[in-house]
Amino acid sequence: MLGLLWLVPAVPFAGALVLILAGARLRRTGVAVVGAGSVGVSAIIAALIAIRFVTLPPAEGFFTQRLWTWIRVGGFAPEIALRLDALSLVMVLVVTGVGFLIHLYSTAFMEGDDGYSRFFAYMNLFVGMMLVLLLADDLLLLYLGWEGVGLCSYLLIGFWYRDPVNANAGRKAFIVTRVGDTAMAVGLFLLVTRLGTLDIQGLMQRAVDQWAIGSPLAVAVAALLLAGAVGKSAQLPLQTWLPDAMAGPTPVSALIHAATMVTAGVYLIARTHVLFTLAPSVQLAVAIIGAATLLLAGCSALTQHDIKRVLAYSTISQIGYMFLALGVGAWSAAIFHFMTHAFFKALLFLAAGVVIARMDDEHDMFKMGGLRHDLPVAFWTFLAGAASLAALPLVTAGFYSKDLILVETWSSVLGGPWLWIAGLVGAFLTSIYAFRMVFLTFFGTLQKPPTGRSGWRLHVPLIILAILAVVGGFVELPATLGDRPYFSDFLHAALPAVVNDAARAGAIARLQIVAGLVSIAGIYVAWALFLRHRSLLARLTRPRPARQLHHFWAAGWGFDWLYNVVLVQPFLWFVDVDRRDAIDRVYDGIAWSARAGWRALSATETGRVRTYATGLTLGAIVITAIVIFL
Amino acid sequence: MTASTLSAIGPLVALAVAVLVVMIALAIHRSRGLTFALTLAGLAAAAVTLRHAPMAPAIDAVPLVVFDAAARFYTGLILAATAAIAVLAFGDAEWQGERPEEIDLLLLLAALGSVVLVAAVHFVALFLGLEILSVSLYALIAYPRTHAASLEAGVKYLVLAAGSAAFLLFGMALVYAETGTMAFAGLTMMPSVADATVALAGVGLIVVGIGFKLALVPFHLWTPDVYEGAPAPVAAFIATVSKGAVLALLVRYAAIIDVRSRPSLFMTFAVLAVASMIAGNVLALLQDNVKRLLAYSSIAHLGYLIVAFLASGALASTAIAFYLSAYFVTMIGAFGVVTVLSQERGAGTGSLDEYRGLALRRPWIATVFAAMLLSLAGIPLTAGFVGKLYVTVAAGGAALWTLLVVMMLTSGLGLFYYLRVIVAMFMQPTDSAVATLAAIRVPVAAGLTLAALAVALVWLGVYPEPFIQVIRATVGGG
Repeated sequence: MLGLLWLVPAVPFAGALVLILAGARLRRTGVAVVGAGSVGVSAIIAALIAIRFVTLPPAEGFFTQRLWTWIRVGGFAPEIALRLDALSLVMVLVVTGVGFLIHLYSTAFMEGDDGYSRFFAYMNLFVGMMLVLLLADDLLLLYLGWEGVGLCSYLLIGFWYRDPVNANAGRKAFIVTRVGDTAMAVGLFLLVTRLGTLDIQGLMQRAVDQWAIGSPLAVAVAALLLAGAVGKSAQLPLQTWLPDAMAGPTPVSALIHAATMVTAGVYLIARTHVLFTLAPSVQLAVAIIGAATLLLAGCSALTQHDIKRVLAYSTISQIGYMFLALGVGAWSAAIFHFMTHAFFKALLFLAAGVVIARMDDEHDMFKMGGLRHDLPVAFWTFLAGAASLAALPLVTAGFYSKDLILVETWSSVLGGPWLWIAGLVGAFLTSIYAFRMVFLTFFGTLQKPPTGRSGWRLHVPLIILAILAVVGGFVELPATLGDRPYFSDFLHAALPAVVNDAARAGAIARLQIVAGLVSIAGIYVAWALFLRHRSLLARLTRPRPARQLHHFWAAGWGFDWLYNVVLVQPFLWFVDVDRRDAIDRVYDGIAWSARAGWRALSATETGRVRTYATGLTLGAIVITAIVIFL
Repeated sequence: MTASTLSAIGPLVALAVAVLVVMIALAIHRSRGLTFALTLAGLAAAAVTLRHAPMAPAIDAVPLVVFDAAARFYTGLILAATAAIAVLAFGDAEWQGERPEEIDLLLLLAALGSVVLVAAVHFVALFLGLEILSVSLYALIAYPRTHAASLEAGVKYLVLAAGSAAFLLFGMALVYAETGTMAFAGLTMMPSVADATVALAGVGLIVVGIGFKLALVPFHLWTPDVYEGAPAPVAAFIATVSKGAVLALLVRYAAIIDVRSRPSLFMTFAVLAVASMIAGNVLALLQDNVKRLLAYSSIAHLGYLIVAFLASGALASTAIAFYLSAYFVTMIGAFGVVTVLSQERGAGTGSLDEYRGLALRRPWIATVFAAMLLSLAGIPLTAGFVGKLYVTVAAGGAALWTLLVVMMLTSGLGLFYYLRVIVAMFMQPTDSAVATLAAIRVPVAAGLTLAALAVALVWLGVYPEPFIQVIRATVGGG
């Protein structure tokens, strides 16, 4: 059974290939069957493998499938090898499972679009690349997946490329993540040249053997990898691309920019956690970046009008939680939150997609309202997702994962009260903006009745995801609520457990009560401000400083402005001033001499046999001369 | 002549018999399908004898040829390439106006000459093989008698090939005068460097003859005219089988005279390689005719191969065999696309304008062509990349830094003109291009061949190990 592992990425690739080559000739049904079916088959195979893996675990705790060695020249022998362990298994299940639901949803959602087969070709390619990234046992293969998902993200953000705004958003995402990717590539080169292998597990082993804790090389490599992770996962300071990435179709936002690709940074850090353990300063930076990002993005989410942008900032903020968990060494908590987040955030995006589509492409929540009777399925599922996002105590998946992060942030030797407070404030903000969306969109007075209908292919994924967003957390019950940490126990085969500070480990129950109260308080505040006492909100935002702050937050803390002023404009200015510098001359010179060379050499092609015979003779003379006189 | 002798030269016997059978069949009943089937059968029979011939060390059945492991590998390559080209030519309507049956006959004959070349261990075999090949090529190039361009190309090739053959003969005569033997093995007896002027001059003149066949600069001038004038499948044959056979011969010959220990010969080939890499790539830069562009590209690729050849050693042999195979696949694929597109448009065209918008009108063909061009440019995940990597590592191991730097820089130039064609395929087509593209009907056999070549290209680029194993087992690399 485990031998079928290669099929998991291969089937979506095959789907993409079929759609690229024959998509134009297939009918829409055919495209839908191939597009969604390939991911569905992949999900089924992944599920079967998971059952086998859990019931009959491999002796070493992981399974490696060496498919082949790409090339073997000198010491360079990149393997095409897949590695299935607890970490990659969880990620693969989520990517294929949630991925399939989103594909199913897309078959209906994209029905009227001209680029139907192109859409599914890109989506299948994305799933394949994501699976390569997750399963790769070799750095080069991992990098292929990493860049592959980046490419698909670019293609899908700019899916409606005829509008320059979308194309620009795609370009922005690509360029901003490229900053991180470049740093990461340098880090990978360092790893390979210093440790002399491409095999990831071998690298980790050698790193432990050769590098001391805090050694400069370990710190440099970890910092460079962190830069890559920050770019991909839209964390500070490279978070600016994600809100704009919402220009893509909503299923894309759900799949790539919420559930899967943006968490690749989390996966990268978890996969190379050994390096971060060797570089404590960088690991602290991970925690601080996570904490800062979750606060900043939480504030920005509070002020957005566009429902998709709220969700985008929310994604940045929730990935901030995952980084926080990674930073304090709570590896499995980060992966747990990744899983629950994939459920509820995909759900929120898909439900929002239904609302937007039924409201004639209206994104502004302030122009919606009162939709709960007209869109019951969207409402109830969105409510489930929002409750999970807000970590409503006991009954939602989000509660269990976020609570685990908060508790372990408090108790870990690497964490402490300050980081915990940041997380707690973030949780408060989260539940406010989550229910702000619910109250603005579904409650209050009906501003405009929805049009059209939505079919089962839209509703089934919503309902399944809603169930998962509620029950998905029961795989990990904390010590105070039954003490059944199945999820952590499972992951501990691949990721070490958090190291707790004995002095702070005793207060779990109290922390949980505080967190639960904060979540409920946030919902209350949202109810009070956005439903019950709208006048209070108006009074709050009337003073000039408040309005400016609102504006500042709505613009994402001015990062776009800052980068524009500090980086983009000076760069453009410099490029403009420096249009004709010496370096340019060199390249111009190369081009010029190539052209001149072409003209000169082309002149020898006269088409006359006598010229050619002369060339032959002259060549003979030169060669004979070299042979005789040298 | 015993049975074992016959089986030792089995491929030659099989091909020669096939030639006779096709000739007789033509005399009795003219049928394109029949000759085509017989040709493929002949090639298949030769491949079978290759498998079943006694293994190396081969019996010295005849003093002229030896089918050792390396010769078997290259013979196999030649047979496969000839079959692919025959299939492409079968679907080609360019032969309209001529009776097309003799094409197969001539291709078989040319393949026979090439096989003699790769197995040659004697100057007589070399000359015999070369002439069988050349004479068939004259006829093949000028086959469309009503096309002025083809006739012109045929005559040019005839005159220049005859001239180069004269150099070759004279060189052989000088070597014979010094060593007293015509067998390659006798070359090891060539006097030590100090007093070997005459013999070395002879070797130099032999290099001229070989350089002409390989179209190395400065013996390359004929290439674009002939490729442009010849029917596309014939151009593919000249670019691949004809050059590959001569290169295989060169490798065998060089192993005996040990090029690396003779600085003058080493220098000669280094100059040829550098000149070919630079001139081939520069000439292709702004070329607007796809056939001429491929001709220049092939000059550059032979330059890269000579770099691997100069590296010598086990890794270099592997590199040459792999690079050559990858080059066969891509060149036949590229000319296959040209073949398919140049139907009913005469032999001479192939202007870049006709490729505009190909990706929109004919996405499959455009995909295949783009894959071939990317492989020629050496982009990863194609066969061309793996080949170039092997050549680079071999050259690096032999510390040929100058050659390596030239190779890297000129490969950069190469990227420009390959991408130029790809860009053209994705542009809006001109009106005339739309009309011609719409009229094209791709024959099933040719389409399948192109698909198979594209698959082989990716296969060799992604999963080259099994093929490398075959090469190691035959060509004897490490």
